[in-house]
Order: sequence, then C-alpha cells, then structure tokens
Amino acid sequence: MLLAGGKGSRLYSLTKNLAKPAVPFGGKYRIIDFPLSNCTNSGIHTVGVLTQYQPLLLNSYIGIGSAWDLDRKDGGVTVLPPYAESSEVKWYSGTASAIFQNLNYLDQYNPEYVLILSGDHIYKMNYELMLNYHIEKGADVTISVIEVPWEETNRFGIMNTDADFKVTEFEEKPAVAKNNLASMGIYIFKWSVLREYLIRDDQNPNSSHDFGKDIIPLLIQENMKLFAYPFKGYWKDVGTVQSLWEANMDLLDKECELNLFDHSWRIYSVNPNQPPQYICPEGEVSESLVNEGCKIEGEVSRTVVFQGVTVKKGAVVKETVIMPDAVIGHNCVIERAIVSPGVYVPDGTIIKPGESAHDITLVSEETIGELQSN
Amino acid sequence: MNKQLLGVIDATTVHDDLKELSIHRSVAAIPFGGRYRLIDFILSNMVNSGIQSVAIFPKFQYRSLMDHLGSGRNWDLNRKRDGLFFFPAPNFDKHYTGIGTLDHFADNIDFFERATQEYALISNSYTVFNMDFQPLLDWHIKSGCDITEVQKEGQSLGIYLVKKTLLMDLITTRNETGYSNMRDVATDHDSQFHLCYYNFEGYASMVDTIENYFRTSMDLMKPDVWKELFTKDRPILTKVKDEPPTRYDVDASVKNSMVANGGMIEGTVENSIIARGVKIGKGTVIRNCIIMQKTQINENCLLDSVIVDKDAKIEAGTVITAPAHSPAVIRKGSVQGVGSTS
Repeated sequence: MLLAGGKGSRLYSLTKNLAKPAVPFGGKYRIIDFPLSNCTNSGIHTVGVLTQYQPLLLNSYIGIGSAWDLDRKDGGVTVLPPYAESSEVKWYSGTASAIFQNLNYLDQYNPEYVLILSGDHIYKMNYELMLNYHIEKGADVTISVIEVPWEETNRFGIMNTDADFKVTEFEEKPAVAKNNLASMGIYIFKWSVLREYLIRDDQNPNSSHDFGKDIIPLLIQENMKLFAYPFKGYWKDVGTVQSLWEANMDLLDKECELNLFDHSWRIYSVNPNQPPQYICPEGEVSESLVNEGCKIEGEVSRTVVFQGVTVKKGAVVKETVIMPDAVIGHNCVIERAIVSPGVYVPDGTIIKPGESAHDITLVSEETIGELQSN
Repeated sequence: MNKQLLGVIDATTVHDDLKELSIHRSVAAIPFGGRYRLIDFILSNMVNSGIQSVAIFPKFQYRSLMDHLGSGRNWDLNRKRDGLFFFPAPNFDKHYTGIGTLDHFADNIDFFERATQEYALISNSYTVFNMDFQPLLDWHIKSGCDITEVQKEGQSLGIYLVKKTLLMDLITTRNETGYSNMRDVATDHDSQFHLCYYNFEGYASMVDTIENYFRTSMDLMKPDVWKELFTKDRPILTKVKDEPPTRYDVDASVKNSMVANGGMIEGTVENSIIARGVKIGKGTVIRNCIIMQKTQINENCLLDSVIVDKDAKIEAGTVITAPAHSPAVIRKGSVQGVGSTS
C-alpha cells in the first residue's frame, strides 16, 4: 500500500498542481518511480496507490502500471482515491485512515502480510529481504529504520530498540534522542494485526489516525512484537527545495550509492519517447546527467537536465536542476537553482545564489518575473 | 481517425551493400539515430497518419525485428480490433524482388479479405522520413488514381497507395498479368490502370548502402533535418528502454553529436551518434562515428569514421580510422584490440 496523497507543501510551486510523489527527479523520473520500481523488483505485483492531493497527473502517470510491469491480470496496480459512502465523503485524514478506508481492497486479496510505503522518498530497497527478516523475527510489525546523524535526530521519528532490534519506544522528533535509528515510513504488518488495529483506531475519537503518532505507539504499549529493520544504503526525503536539489546533485557523484545504471535493479518510469539529446557545436556539457529530447547550445556543468529541455547559446548553467521542457534563454547565467517544468527563462536572466550557501533558487512561472528584475 | 487505410510494410528486403549491418538482422531492424530501428520511421508515419492496422511482411532474420516490435505497444498498435500483424514468408526458396511481393501477399490473402479498410498503403521498411499520409490519400482519391507511387524528385520512394479491392485483384491475377510486385505495376505504362505519382517534398533517404547509412545518420545533425524528422505532433516512436539519463563526466567534451540515454561519457565525442547505453572511456576521441547500443569503448582510443555495431568492445588504446567516404564497420559483439585498422 503506497501512500501517495502527500502535498509536499515545502516544495512550494512545484507541488501546486501535482502531489509530491509526482515531482520530477533525477533527469527522467518522478519520485513515485522509486517505490514502484522497488515493488516490482522485489517481486511484489499487487500494489494499491492511495492518492488524495492533486491526483490528476499522478493517476494518468500510473495508468494501468505498465511502465513498472504492474499491468497484471491478477493483482497489478490499483489507484485508490478517497470515496463517498452513503452518509458522507471520507477524506483520508491520516496515513492510517487512508489504509482503513481501503480495507475492502485488502480484504479482497486477504494477504498474509501488508507492506506500507510512502511515495515521498528516494531509495532502492529490496522489500523481500525485509519480509524475510519480519518472518524470521516472528514480528507483528517490522519498521524499516536508517541511521541518521545524531544532530538531525530531532527531525525524524526515532525508534528506541533493545540489542535484538525489538522496538521498545517510539519518539516523534525528540529534542534529546536516545538513539539515531529513524523510521523510514516503511512498515510490514501481519495483515490480521493491521486489520484489528486499524478498526480500533477508527473507533478512537481522539486519534489523529496516523501510523507514527497513533498506531505504532499503541502497538508498543500493548506489547506487540515490533522490530526495527536496519537499512543501509541511500535514502533521502526530498520534501524541501534544498533536499530535492541535494538529492539530484548526489546523482552526479560517481560514488553515489544510488546507482541508476544498475541493470539488476532498474528504476522504471514512463518513457517519453523523445529523440536523442543533441549537443550543438557550441555546446559544452560536463559532470551532468542529460535526458533525451534536449538541445544543448550553451554551457552546462554539474547539472541534471530532464527531457525536452533547451539551453540556448551563450547560457551558462551550473549546479542546477532543469525540469522537463524548460527553456534557458540566450546568455542566461544560472547557478544553484531548480528550474520548474516548462518554464521559459528569458534571454540574459541572471540567477545567482544568495548569501547563504543553502539558498537554492526555485525558478517558476510565478517567480521568473521577480527574478529577472533583480 | 483514419479507418480507411491499411498499412502494409514489406520487410523482406536484403541489401547486399548493407550486409555488414544485416548479418544478424533484417534491414528493417538496423539501428539508426541512436535509439531507433529503420522500420520505426515508416511505422510511426503510419500510426501518426491514423492508420490502426499494420501488417509486416518479413522474410530473413526477423528475430530482432519481432523483438523490437513486440505486441506493438510502443506504437499503440496493441489493439483488440486491428493492430499489428506479422506474416513471415512461409518459404525461403521463393525469390522476392521489389517492394510489395504479390506472392507473399497471396500466401496471406485471408488477411486482405478480412481487412475492413478501403485503401492499402504498401511501403518499404528502410526509408528515413516523416510523412503524413492523409494528404496523399486525399490527393489519390481526388485525382481518381488507381495506383499512386510516392516519389521524391522523380525517384520512387517505394511506397504505393491502392484500393484494397484492386490490390486483391492484382494478387489473384498475378500469374496472368506477370506482375510480381507493386513496382512492376507502378512502372508498367501500358497498363489499363490510372497510374499517378505523388511528390513528397520533405526529407527522405532510402538506406541501402553503408555509405548511404552513414550519410543519412550524419544528416540528423543538420538542424533543419532534425527539426523535420523529430516533430512533437508526429513523433517517431520506438521501443522504449528504461535507461537512465546519460552521464557526462568532468572530462567529457561533446560537440555536434546526438546522444541517447544510458550512456557514460568520459572522453571526447565530435560529429557522432551515440546510441543507448554506450560507454566512452577517458582520453578516448570519437569523431564522425556511429556507435550502437551498449558498445563499450575503453580509454585512450581514437576512432574516426567508424560504425561500431551493438555490444562491441574496443580495448584501451585502440586506433581505428577510415576515410570519410568509406567508413569502417565493426561487427556486432566483436572485440577489437590495439592496432586493428581497416
């Protein structure tokens, strides 16, 4: 069950018309390609995708799931939007309520285990290994965790465990953490346990119907068997303009753990079928990722260029993410920015980072006028 | 939607002068332009003209062609009604010449009988062009033609438009008339048919020799040709691959080249076409080359005017140069070591 209803409000205009899981990433992908590809590569062929916020693009992108080989007679991908019951329309008020309202969907498969994922993260993970661990431990619930730097523990949900990784306590964004194992928002439940706790949670008027805030603490309190599954590898929440930019830049590092070139664990996506990129006689490209359908007449370095982008003569682009179909006009200078899909950056526009090294400029239809006048 | 036209692609052609590239594949399946196969152009043109039923008539070495086309999904031809059909030649002994061999059609006459389309467009499989067939059909009908041949500057492009009922007549009477293919019909000026010639004004190149293949490939780097072939509203479709974007290293230098996805480029590339998943090592210089899918060129090589077929491996330090008018061809899957020249 892939939770894909998030708004991603800290991505500002990037998520004005689309849900966070549909945000473009890595020169050709959308964020949701990562969990969906992980599912298909892990041998999971029945996936429910729960959508809510701005679902149009996401729904049409997922389609019948053929891009991820999830167009199946038996199972496959099913998009699960909120729906109306005879008495009322029930929006998904929290992660747990989203799953609860689709108990019918789960009942029809009556699985042994349910994997709950979020559509907000960039990572490659074999869920089958996690399931084996879950079975080995005889767990009711297994939560995937990753070691985060101690100084950042206050940004995450932290799992306190014993030496055997049995979860003893869950602390949401603790001021002083006892551990640095952060929840990745990936859960494997025994279906019977999930079903029972979702029904109980729904009946609790004080619950916010959230896995992290309500379900997990209650399970711990009632001494159910919760285990942390320590994941090693690349994992990034791309919830802010800064972190989205950073994760894109990570891909330019040849040693990056997130290897997109690994054919044994391909990241699938809806391929736009565009001609090869054309690097013009005047063009220069170094340390960059460039997708098909691009025309590069200018100078591009340390930049991720999505499909259909044009960089015109005399333009110099550095450490930037240029999203699909954007056009960078003649003689523009752009550094440390994210250029939104389809934006036309007029000739001669200069975009340089501000005082702070952490300032990444988000170039969008709304901000382009303002950026030009500066 | 154009339900009037049936698409027929003759993929039986063998060009001796393209042998180096067609030992393991039919001419229709020769890789072109970094991510396409030659057949993609005619097939996409048909689909973009609203044709919903396309029959492919292959003969020799059609494994790679079948693999490429699959169910026709990439061209939106995986239909319940109509879609993509294959009619491999039932025997290799019959010698086919020209485009649209009536014998081959006769072996599959049921298909033509069943087809609901009123007209049939019969084409070769190896022309690089982007053409809308709707104006051709309108013109054919308006001019009261029986058979229309598409030409460019007076030369046949090996494309014929004919009423399906007339095509069936031509098939069934082939022994009496002596016509063995559509070319015979279109060039018989004593015939009772109203023969017409339709001039195509755009870019078109029939790929039938290595030199021609090379020149047509290099034409892609001309902005006006590129613009005409790769339009947004009439895209050339192909089998998609889930390759990541191409990675350019800090030392990469690429000028006037077309590069497909999944590549890793660390060297210098000029005036070349680099297909999907190609690796080009540090210190290597590639000039005026066509490098096909998944070929690996290691460090410090120099290649000039070379066509390197799929899955080849060029070992470090190898120098291969050829005159521009007669490019060298490195065969599919071969390994080339230091000092090989041709």
